[in-house]
Amino acid sequence: MKITAWSALSPYGHTAADFTQGVRDRRPTAALVPEEEAQLGCLVPDFDPRVVLGKKGTRDMNRVTALAVTAVGSVLDDGTQTAAGTGPDTALVLGTTTGSVQSMTDFTRSSLTGDRPYDVEPGVIPNSVMNCAAAQCAIRHRLQGPNTTLAGGRAAALLGLLYARRLLRAGRARTVLCGAAEEYSHARTWLEARSRDDAPTLLGEGAAVLRLTPAELPTAAPPLARVLAVHTRHAPPGSDPADTIRDTVSAALGQARITASDVWSATGSGLDTAEDDALDALFPRQTRDRLPTLGPLVGDTGAAASALQLATVLAAGGQAPGGHAVITSTDGQGLVAAAVLRMERPH
Amino acid sequence: MLTTDARQIRITEIVCDRLELEPEELAETDRFVEEHGADSLALIGVLAALEKEFKVTIDQSEMPRMAHLAGVREVLSETKGW
Repeated sequence: MKITAWSALSPYGHTAADFTQGVRDRRPTAALVPEEEAQLGCLVPDFDPRVVLGKKGTRDMNRVTALAVTAVGSVLDDGTQTAAGTGPDTALVLGTTTGSVQSMTDFTRSSLTGDRPYDVEPGVIPNSVMNCAAAQCAIRHRLQGPNTTLAGGRAAALLGLLYARRLLRAGRARTVLCGAAEEYSHARTWLEARSRDDAPTLLGEGAAVLRLTPAELPTAAPPLARVLAVHTRHAPPGSDPADTIRDTVSAALGQARITASDVWSATGSGLDTAEDDALDALFPRQTRDRLPTLGPLVGDTGAAASALQLATVLAAGGQAPGGHAVITSTDGQGLVAAAVLRMERPH
Repeated sequence: MLTTDARQIRITEIVCDRLELEPEELAETDRFVEEHGADSLALIGVLAALEKEFKVTIDQSEMPRMAHLAGVREVLSETKGW
């Protein structure tokens, strides 16, 4: 499976170029969140859905949907895409954590606080379901192939690669747009702070989407990278997560038929010390530091985290054509995923 | 309670807001669906917003008559509590 295009909306800006520059500079993005008291966050700057996407069809659109629709639009509009790229042969696999917590809680609150329980806005009901973003992407960009929402937390985009590979192998699509989106919101901040002991202190948001085609299918331009392997495991409660992370990476390297010494870059989410430690034990410092670890720079971007990690490799592809990059992700609840990419040409 | 004129202006504002139109883009008998691309969710949104604003209950069987602004005004004028 090869990657022929990518897009990223991130705390660095709205475009892949903004993202490339930001990760190259390793620039931290934490800033005070507007309308929140002394709360730091990493938001996509100046992202107003109605300005970015226009006023038609955006009145009730929530932020995560707008991020996803914009990121899918960007990957379709990268200059090489033709009309043949959409329609029944193009699938979408979009990662999420739980959809928009903000939309869910707003809707419930409006029913409880309105004069009558049914004094709710019907137009926002679709926002409160998990697959709203993927559905709107399909509607607005006329993607008529399989439409999938994968709830996988931070690892969602890596799980998406597995799903995309199955779609391509089964002939269900010739092109898969695969990525993930997560919004920053007050509700998400509230929920994350209370949902687990090791809750992240800095939350971010963003979206990234890759265009994937089967390895054997000829493409007009050479691919940016190839997905050589993806492997996932579950660390049972009470087990040492470092063991699971090491085994996951080893399995992925085995699938890719390379060894740790062949790896040019190995990065984790930067949100889990066990993950960092496991990677440090497997790879030399030089390999670990070649690409930035995103967590400290853009916060916990939820489902977008692994999608933006993939984008980091693609943004750096030109530095090491033919080099191998390992990406890992953990969701904090036992899920561990690793992917091996081979970089082919500069973006 | 708003004056009759003010209420009529408010109806236009609510409908335009729900249909994502500027007031000058929507003539009295423009059909929401056929001429402005409204979908069924937008139509039920119009009904719900009017109910909430004017604290009335509109029977959903009236929806076919609420196909344009003039129809909306007519249905509302016949609604209990208007």
